[in-house]
Amino acid sequence: MPRPAVVASVALFLLALLLPATVSGYGIRILNLAFISAIAVIGLNFAFGYAGLITLAQAGFVGCGAYVTAILTTSVGLSPWVSIPIATASGGVLAVLIGLPILRLKGHYLALATLGFNVSFVIVATNWKSVMGGTDGISGIPALTLGSFSLGTDHRYFYVLWTALAVATWVAWRIRASHVGLAMIAVRDDEIATATSSVGVTRIRVQAFALSAVYAALAGALFAHMTNFVAPDDFALGHSIIYLAMLIIGGEGSIVGAIAGAVIVTFMPELLRDLGSAYLIFFGGLMLLILIYLPKGLFSVAAALGRRLGMARP
Amino acid sequence: MSQQLVQLIVSGLAVGAVYALVGLAFILVNEATGVVNFATGQFVMVGCFVAVTTVVQMQLPLAAAYPLALTAMAFFGAIFYAIVFRPLQDRAVVTVIIGTVMIGIVIQNASLITWGSVPFRPRSPFGRQVVDVFGAAISAHALFVIAVAFLMIGLLYVLIYRTSVGARMRAVAQDRDAARLMGIGVDRMFVLTWVIAGLLTGTAGILVGPMWFADVNMGDPIALKAFAAIIIGGFSSVPGAILGGVLVGLAEMLGAAYVSSTYKDGIVFLIMILFLLVRPQGIFGERIGERA
Repeated sequence: MPRPAVVASVALFLLALLLPATVSGYGIRILNLAFISAIAVIGLNFAFGYAGLITLAQAGFVGCGAYVTAILTTSVGLSPWVSIPIATASGGVLAVLIGLPILRLKGHYLALATLGFNVSFVIVATNWKSVMGGTDGISGIPALTLGSFSLGTDHRYFYVLWTALAVATWVAWRIRASHVGLAMIAVRDDEIATATSSVGVTRIRVQAFALSAVYAALAGALFAHMTNFVAPDDFALGHSIIYLAMLIIGGEGSIVGAIAGAVIVTFMPELLRDLGSAYLIFFGGLMLLILIYLPKGLFSVAAALGRRLGMARP
Repeated sequence: MSQQLVQLIVSGLAVGAVYALVGLAFILVNEATGVVNFATGQFVMVGCFVAVTTVVQMQLPLAAAYPLALTAMAFFGAIFYAIVFRPLQDRAVVTVIIGTVMIGIVIQNASLITWGSVPFRPRSPFGRQVVDVFGAAISAHALFVIAVAFLMIGLLYVLIYRTSVGARMRAVAQDRDAARLMGIGVDRMFVLTWVIAGLLTGTAGILVGPMWFADVNMGDPIALKAFAAIIIGGFSSVPGAILGGVLVGLAEMLGAAYVSSTYKDGIVFLIMILFLLVRPQGIFGERIGERA
């Protein structure tokens, strides 16, 4: 990415810190949801954007993080500050366990296998009443606190999410620049050439899948402590599709694009609210048009505009 | 055999026959046009509701209502070809997957607005009639479903392997460019493929209506079982889709009765994932290029 674009993105992100002062309660709630999705989509960018793995399991891993922290804070009674890291790690462990066998598959076979995982997750969450609460879900998940200062309001929680997103973005950037990030892209671009350069292709795939699940689980844990309630519907297959759509709309293979896509898609229902029950028809149609006419995502258009305006040096 | 077992097997075969039809529509489109159609389940739902319109709302006699519904589904396939397939053709796999999912969302919600959220129960041509099979009372509709599915599969087989149109379709599936150079109208074959997909899913929808309720959310669960069926049978194999469908239907019915009714779908997906891991080419599959 050209440097002025980086500067502009960072400036925009810092400006977002002022939003709670100006935006109403409901707007902040939506913004919080957008930031949570952004973390999951940055993760998905490792698996799909860099390593080229078509995964329809991201919502399942978000659910894994959300349920682990929900169970640990309600039934076990741990502090959220302890349970969130455990939940985040659990996503990675689950992804390695699932990834080792299924990442041998490619293309739509991998898509169907990960789809099977996501559907199975919802089936288990719906039916394992004693631990996961069934369709009623788990309620009474505590909000985050700093000493006696509650971070439970949407306006305060915004700063928690902002910090989490900033750290997640920075870590993603570091990984992208490291040999691990380069290896992921190499595996996607030319698997055989990568393998002959003595890079373990399967290991890189599992790493990318696990990284994406760690980000997803973190997003899920943060979600659980915001809504104080989790239920299977929030992690259904449809959400995995939405995460992929966010990444593609923002621009796959780009961290800033991932964040932009998450924010745009999360706010779209609010912007289209006047359409009422026809909203999903319009949403699906719009996604289709973007896929067809802007296959590199909205971010590529923004970058091209920037170049046109002379923002970027070649 | 106990009566209950006979009943379970027949209803498992009937449900499996529906999955087989849906799986065949999926395979046919994937083989002939190279598109993985994740909106296949919504095709079935639309087929079911078009039959609701002709049978329940228009009160037509079944002899007119069913052909009218199938004609509508043939047009539906052709429209899908023009609006969705043409623009998505030759795009990356993931673009096609998400694109067809998105159009599925559009179809589902357009149907919700058209037909409402209250489920319908279209009547069967046999009403609630039961037939005695090995001493067990079997619903006549279940036997009708199995017979119609067999008929459709037979017609499809004759069309693909015994007619010149079928030979042209297979040529397009094998090598599109070579087929075009041989003077075959490739685009016309694509239209035909989508029309047949509309007819197969439309038949599945018509048959499913009287068994379950017609509900706008019915598409995804049916498509997921059909996916499982073709993974088990072998992704590009016609007999595989039939056997896979039957196995999934039986696993669902017998699993619900003897193992766990809440986890019956989980059993199906467990079998599917086991197949992906142990025998990714499925029972009949031969080509394993993209799998491992």
